[in-house]
Amino acid sequence: MTFASRRFGALCLSIVLAAGLIWLAMAYDLTLRDASYLTGWLLFGGVVLASTFNMRKKLPFLPLLNASIWLQIHIYIGWLLVVLFFLHTSLEWPLGWFEGVLWFLFVLVSLSGLIGLFLSRSLPVRIQNHGERLIFERIPQFRAELADEVEVLATRSVRETASNTIALYYVNRLQAYFSGPKNLVAHLLESRAALTKHRREIDSLERYLQEDGREILANIKDLIVAKDNLDYQYSLQLVLRLWLFVHIPLTYALLLVALVHIVLTYAFSGATL
Amino acid sequence: MNSSPNINSPERWDRPFGPDMTENDVDRALEFSALGAVDPNLFPKNRPLREIIKNDGRIVHYKRGDIIIRNGDYGNSVFLILQGCVRIVINEPREQHRPKKGRRSFFRAVSQLWRNATVPERRDVSIYENSASKIRRGEVTSAQVHLTDVSGYIATHETIQLAEGTSFGEIAALSRTPRTATVFAETELELLELRWQGLRDIRRRDAGIRETFNQHYRKNRLEAQLRSSPLLAHLDTESLGEIIKHTLLEMYGSEDWFYAYMKIEARESSDVIAAEPVIIEQHSYLDGLLLICSGHARLSEGLDHGERTVGYLKSNDAFGLEEIMDQWRNGTELLAQRSLRAVGHVEVLRIPTALVEKHILPSLPASLLPELKNADNVLAWDADSQEKGLEQSLLDFFTDQRIINGTETMMINTARCTGCDDCVRACAATHDNNPRFIRHGPVHGNIQVANSCMHCADPVCLVECPTGAIGQSVIDGRVMIDDPLCIGCGNCANSCPYNNIQLVEVRNRSGDFIIDTETSAPIVKATKCDLCFGQLGGPACQRACPHDALVRMDLHNMDEVLGWIGK
Repeated sequence: MTFASRRFGALCLSIVLAAGLIWLAMAYDLTLRDASYLTGWLLFGGVVLASTFNMRKKLPFLPLLNASIWLQIHIYIGWLLVVLFFLHTSLEWPLGWFEGVLWFLFVLVSLSGLIGLFLSRSLPVRIQNHGERLIFERIPQFRAELADEVEVLATRSVRETASNTIALYYVNRLQAYFSGPKNLVAHLLESRAALTKHRREIDSLERYLQEDGREILANIKDLIVAKDNLDYQYSLQLVLRLWLFVHIPLTYALLLVALVHIVLTYAFSGATL
Repeated sequence: MNSSPNINSPERWDRPFGPDMTENDVDRALEFSALGAVDPNLFPKNRPLREIIKNDGRIVHYKRGDIIIRNGDYGNSVFLILQGCVRIVINEPREQHRPKKGRRSFFRAVSQLWRNATVPERRDVSIYENSASKIRRGEVTSAQVHLTDVSGYIATHETIQLAEGTSFGEIAALSRTPRTATVFAETELELLELRWQGLRDIRRRDAGIRETFNQHYRKNRLEAQLRSSPLLAHLDTESLGEIIKHTLLEMYGSEDWFYAYMKIEARESSDVIAAEPVIIEQHSYLDGLLLICSGHARLSEGLDHGERTVGYLKSNDAFGLEEIMDQWRNGTELLAQRSLRAVGHVEVLRIPTALVEKHILPSLPASLLPELKNADNVLAWDADSQEKGLEQSLLDFFTDQRIINGTETMMINTARCTGCDDCVRACAATHDNNPRFIRHGPVHGNIQVANSCMHCADPVCLVECPTGAIGQSVIDGRVMIDDPLCIGCGNCANSCPYNNIQLVEVRNRSGDFIIDTETSAPIVKATKCDLCFGQLGGPACQRACPHDALVRMDLHNMDEVLGWIGK
C-alpha cells in the first residue's frame, strides 16, 4: 500500500467516524440528555488513547503493532478529538479561569501536534536536499573541528602572507561565527542572507591580498559554507527534537487538568439538575 | 583497590568443539575417515593435524532414524562417517522436519524494562570461566527430529546411501550456503563432526582432501544444485545425468575478496568494476549456459567509454540462455551480449551449449523462455532500459557498494526519517541497553544503508573466524555471534566490508572491565545486529520507526525493494 492510498483510506474512515460522532451528539440532544457528558468522556478517552503511543515507544520488545501504525492511529484520533472538542465546547469561549486553562491546554496540544506533524513531514525532505545528513549528536564535534581549521588558516595567513587582513577578519567576524550554532531561525526560514553576507565580506577582502593570501581566503570561504551547512542541519534537527518537548509535557498537563475537570463536573453536577 | 575481574584472554581452542574429545577419538577419526590420508607433515607445529581434529572436531552418535541435517539448514560443519551409514534424501521440500523458532516468554520480554543493564556491554563473567560447551546462540540443539518408520521412509522417498569412510556437508560448510538435502541415520551411527574452521585449515594444506571433496560434490551435490534451477527442474533423470557428466564447476574471485575490495579508495565505480574478475566478456564466444551456484555476479554492457551495470545475478540465476536460444532459432553467432563479472567469490556451473540445445531448450516451459534484448542504443540514464526497473544510479550504488549481498539490509528513507532515534533506542532496549547499529552509512539520494549487519548471502565475516564464534543460524541463515566463544581477535570486524561489526570491551555486573589475567588488557568481544534474536515480534528497529522510514530488506527480492522505493 502506498502512503497516498493509506492516507486516503484513513481520511475517509476519519470523516465517517467524525460524521458518526456528530450524529451521536445530535441524537443525544434530541433525547433531551446532556450530550456534553458523552462528548466529554469520549474526549477524555480519546486523549488517553492517543497518549498511549508514547507508552508503545517504551516497550519496543513487545509485539504491539508497528510504531508507524500507532502514529497513524494517533494522528487520526487527534483529528477526531478536534471534532469532539468543538462538539463538547459548542464553539464557545471558556467560562472561568479553570475552564480557560483546560481550553488553552487542549488547543496548545492540538496545535503542537499539528505543527509537529508538519515539521516531521517537511523538515526531513529539506535536510536531505541540503547536503550530507549528519548525526545530530556529532554536529558539535564537527563544528569544533571547523573552528580549529579556520583558526589554523588565520594564524598561517599572518606567518605566510605578511598581512594581518585575514587574521583581523577572523578575530572580528569569524571567531564568534565558528564558536557555536548561528542563524538558527534564519535557517528554519530557509534564509541564505547570513551566508551571502559572509561571501560578500570575503570577496571584498580579496583585493587586499596577494595570491597566497587569496588561496587561504578561498579555503576559509569553503569552511564558512561547511559551517553554514552544519548550522542548517543543527537548526532543523533541533526543531525536530524540541517540538516533542512541548507536545508531550502539555499532554500530561492536559490529562491532569481534564481529570480535575471531570471530578469537579461530577461534584457540582447536582446544581445543574 | 582494583576490583576488576581477571580472566585468561580467550584463544582459539579454549573452547574445543567437543570438550570430551580424547586422543583415542583422534586416532579413530584418523583410522576410519578420509582424514587418515592427510599428510600430517603439511601442518605447522602450532596447528598440527591432530590438534585440529581434537579441538575443531567432536564425536557424535545418532540412533537409527535420527535426522542429522535438514534441507535448508545453514551448515557450519562437515560430517565424516566413522561407523554406520546414512541416507541422503533427494528432492525433499525444505519445510520438512523444521522446528519452530525459540522465542522468549512474554514476561521475560517485559522484564527487560527493569533488568536491562545500567553499564555498557555487561556480561556474566561465569560464562567465560566455565569452559564447558554451551548451547550456541541461534542454534536449536533441542530440536532433534526423528523418523519413526525408517524402512517405510526409504521405500517412499528417493535416497542415496553413504557408508563408513565417506563424508557429507562439506560444500555447505565451506561455501556458506544452505544444505541442499536432508540426511538421516540409517543405522546406529558414529560421526566425526568437524567445524568448518578446522575443515578450512585441512583443505588449505592437503590437495588430496580437496580432490576428495570435489568428487563428493560432483557425486552428491551437483544433481541437487542443477535440479534447484528452474531451467533444469523439468528434466528427466537421463537427460540430467548427461548434463551432470559434462558440467564444469568454476570458481571466480577469491574467498577473501573483501580485503582487495576494501582497499579500493572511495569505491569508485570504474575501480570497483576493474577489480572484479571477468567470468565472460561482452562479445566474446559463449561456450555454454552459466548457472550461478553461490555468490553474486554483475551483469554489464559497454557504453561509450564505460561499463553500464544492467543487473546482478544471484544463486540459481542463469547467463547466456538468450544468446543460446537465438543461435538455436536463428543461427546467429554465439556471442555474449553482456559481460559477467564476479562480485566477490562466485561459483558457476558451465553447461555445454550442445546439451542446452539438446535437453533444456526443447522442453523449456514458455514462461521461462527469455526475451532477447538489443543491448545497442541504450542510454546511460534510462531507467526503462533496466531489466529490474531500478534507477540506473541506484543499481550502480547497490552493486558498487556490495549492498546486493544483504538479506536483511537496514535501509532508511532519509526523506521520511526525522532522526528521532526511536530505532536506536528500541535496539538498545532489546540488547541490554547496547545499540547494535549506527544510524549512519552510505547514502544514495534519499536512501541510506545504515551500519547494521545485513546478514549477507555471502557472509565473509565468517571466513577468518578462528573459533567458529560467528556463524550462520541453522534455521534461517542469520549471522550470529556466540559471545562466550568469541576471542575478540577482530578478524570478523576487519573482514566485514560494510563496517557493521564492532569490538567492545566487556564489563561485569558492577561495571568493572573484565581483564585478561596475563596482559591486564580488557577482554574484547565482537558485537553486531542479531535481528533481535528471541525477541517477540522480530527486529525492534523496524517496528519502532513511527515514520515508516526504516525497513529491513532482502536485496535479492527486487519486487520488495521496488515496492518500498515507490511507496
